[in-house]
Amino acid sequence: MVILYGLGSILIAFMVGILFAGISRKVKARIHWRYGPPLYQPLIDIVKLFHQESVSHGFIFDFGIFFSLTGAIVTLFFIPIGYIVPLHESGGLLVVLYLMLIAPFGIALSSVEAANPNASIGISRKFILALGYEIPFLLILLSVMTYYGTISFVEIVEMQRESTWGIISMPITGIAFLLILPAMMGLKPFDLIGAPQEISSGPEVEYGGIYLAMSKIQHIFLIFINIALFVSLFLGGGAEPLTFFLKMLPVFFIILIMSTIYPRFRIEQAFRFCVRWPTILAFLGLLLVVWR
Amino acid sequence: MLLPYTLITAFTGAFFVYLSGKISEKLRNFLGFVVSLALLILVSLMYTKIGISHTYFSFLNYPLVLRVDWLSWFFGIAIVSINIFAVIFSFSDMKDKKRLDLFYLLMFLVNAGMLGVVLSGDLISFYIYWEIMSWSTFLLISFREEGFSAGLKYIILSIIGSFSMLVGMIILYSQLGTFDIAIIVEQMDMLSNGFAFSILILFGIAFGIKNALMPLHTWLPDSYTETESPFTAVISGMLTRMGMYGFLLILFVVMGVNRYILLAGGKYSFVLSWLGAITIIMGTFIALLQNDAKKLLAWHGIGQGGYMILGIAYGTAFSVAGGIFHTLNHAIYIVLLYFSVGAVEYRTGTRNLNNLGGLIKKMPVAFLGGLLGISGLIGIPLTNGFVSKWLIYKSLILNRSPFLAFAALIGTWGTILSVYKFLHNIFLGQLPLKYSNVKKAPFSMQFPIIVFSTAIILFGVLPGIPLGIVEKIMGKMGFKSLGVNIWGIASGTGSLNTLNIFFAILLVILGVYILYKIGFKSKRVLQEDTYAAGHYIPRDKYAYTTEFYAPLFDIIKPIFREWVSIFIEKLTGFGNNLSDRIRRIYVGDLGTYVLYIVLFLAFLIVSRWSIW
Repeated sequence: MVILYGLGSILIAFMVGILFAGISRKVKARIHWRYGPPLYQPLIDIVKLFHQESVSHGFIFDFGIFFSLTGAIVTLFFIPIGYIVPLHESGGLLVVLYLMLIAPFGIALSSVEAANPNASIGISRKFILALGYEIPFLLILLSVMTYYGTISFVEIVEMQRESTWGIISMPITGIAFLLILPAMMGLKPFDLIGAPQEISSGPEVEYGGIYLAMSKIQHIFLIFINIALFVSLFLGGGAEPLTFFLKMLPVFFIILIMSTIYPRFRIEQAFRFCVRWPTILAFLGLLLVVWR
Repeated sequence: MLLPYTLITAFTGAFFVYLSGKISEKLRNFLGFVVSLALLILVSLMYTKIGISHTYFSFLNYPLVLRVDWLSWFFGIAIVSINIFAVIFSFSDMKDKKRLDLFYLLMFLVNAGMLGVVLSGDLISFYIYWEIMSWSTFLLISFREEGFSAGLKYIILSIIGSFSMLVGMIILYSQLGTFDIAIIVEQMDMLSNGFAFSILILFGIAFGIKNALMPLHTWLPDSYTETESPFTAVISGMLTRMGMYGFLLILFVVMGVNRYILLAGGKYSFVLSWLGAITIIMGTFIALLQNDAKKLLAWHGIGQGGYMILGIAYGTAFSVAGGIFHTLNHAIYIVLLYFSVGAVEYRTGTRNLNNLGGLIKKMPVAFLGGLLGISGLIGIPLTNGFVSKWLIYKSLILNRSPFLAFAALIGTWGTILSVYKFLHNIFLGQLPLKYSNVKKAPFSMQFPIIVFSTAIILFGVLPGIPLGIVEKIMGKMGFKSLGVNIWGIASGTGSLNTLNIFFAILLVILGVYILYKIGFKSKRVLQEDTYAAGHYIPRDKYAYTTEFYAPLFDIIKPIFREWVSIFIEKLTGFGNNLSDRIRRIYVGDLGTYVLYIVLFLAFLIVSRWSIW
């Protein structure tokens, strides 16, 4: 049963993620006054990448990327997608917090086994940005866990279903989370990690074929996980996988529109942004929760 | 009789190793190994005899007692295990260095002193062994000429701590009339709250210095950096954590948790927790700015010490368990990391993070040690550091202290940045040309690295093995049961199951591997064979290691400075200046002195007149 649920959540996350990637290309194209590729283009890309030649730089180059994808998928198992939650009693949100580390950490190990300075620069940017958004993110998670008095993901969702949604009881915290979501997903104002024009796609520079495919799949899961986190913590999750998906859609559109209209930050700007407004809001939110 | 024999083996063994070194080097190394093995076996045998005590000497009618309980066994086994691997590691690391007999003598004396501290059942023995440990450590830190000022720093602070402890002991004696810890525990209720508080503060200074709790940490970074790698492993793994042993002894064994939490309206617990939290943040973020591999780890030693202090100072069952468990976990991964750095330094002759790089293919075992070590230090799930940190976080969150929890969690993210820089700058990225002929580390270095790497994974996947003993320690201290299982913690308020996570990761990584096999097969190429968008990347020129986080450093450098050291330097500068000014009064000219006398008399007369 657990294995079936596991496969189910992988499948749902993959399909939803691919759909989001397709939608985002389409919407961006419409905003740019273009037609854009068909919705299923990202899927075609991935299938195509499986058949392309690639190079490997050694054991850690392979292992890192496996590890990264594994980290993303195992994180997924902790997220209650409707009633589908394969690993619910194994440490709760604190484990999710740590598992979310594995995906970037695996990429960081893998990509720099090649002696390519572009990859190193990209990873250094990734970690600086990660520190930037983790400060508000931790404050947000702590607000939520303190408010509901539990570290269990499933219980937080159930408590919201019984009373009101998190966004209503903790509006400031929710807004702070929305502000850092693009940074967590590596979308437009914060796409400095793999900036193609500056550092040849950064960490992905040495990836081709199957490696690039895995990196893309990992990124698709990451987008799903981050939006799912917002939906579960602030929009009350969903009783069914379908309602869960319906709640994810508007959040995704808000982020998509935010990301389409802004140009890219430099790394120090991105860091300063993250530790300024979202952090102040998240801190206020935590103060309110503690004083309540 | 097991207890005195252990200490006799430890002390006489040290001297025999020293003397045998005068005969032959091989004999000394062999004897060193035998003595450490004997100690390991003796301490392991104590497992069946927990709870025994033995009066071995009577000093001015005060009986000196040795005893072993779960807490001392837990620390004792860690001490002797780290010692044996440090000795093995030193065989090749120290091979061509001078005054080796003295080195081994001091190393075994430190070890014997630590064993004495954890096994002693009265405060006089405790103090004597504590001093043996501190003084041999001082000699070892200043073993190399570069280490002299570091050693001086250490011993000055250590003496301050010792005296503070001595005063605490005398207060205890004056009130209760005994030095025997068991009797003190029974009579603790007779001690008034004021005395109890002052004892906690006095002992807290001693143990805070040893455990490098901010603002008493200033001795640590230089000491860790300047010592020889095998001893750095000992000092960082266990010796610094003698402070933790002391805190556990005084707070929970002697004082008892209920009284400690309520003492002075909970102020002691509050202040100690926040000092721990500040230590975490400052320690890890200052580590981020270091360029010396050993110094980086040393600052992490301070930061991780903050986690332990925070855990035990907070005083709930889960947090104390986390604090105790973290002591062991920290010992394992920090020793591993120092071994790894030691191996790299042995082969390349440097530990400057700006000059290394790309050693992964040259030293794969050292890389493995580094990778698992930093994973444990970060606390990635399925490594040992995760479980202990989880216990601390959980307890902080569920007891509504989110700000302390934030300090602890953000410390972890600072850790990721700095240890990734550590791993990247040594093992990944571009290999400088001068290191293209570096050989693998010798077996006597690889063996300890492999053993400790295994321990990290083993205690990460099956945390129940050490946690079982932690639970026994906690039971003795009067905490309620944690619900420890072999796979983690089963409690009503959120359980942890590492085996579940382990099997999930195993299955998924298998699936990912199959996916990889389905795709088009990849081709192995050289590390230098890279793509740079049409540009040519010359070897040895574009290693991205120096100032790895440059944009971040500009922002955080003004905040995370060694404020305490800066303050002390300012203070000494002020003192020097003042003394210099005073010195200038004595010009050495007779006429001026006569003038001083005349002026002074004039001053006396004038002041007398004005009074009248």
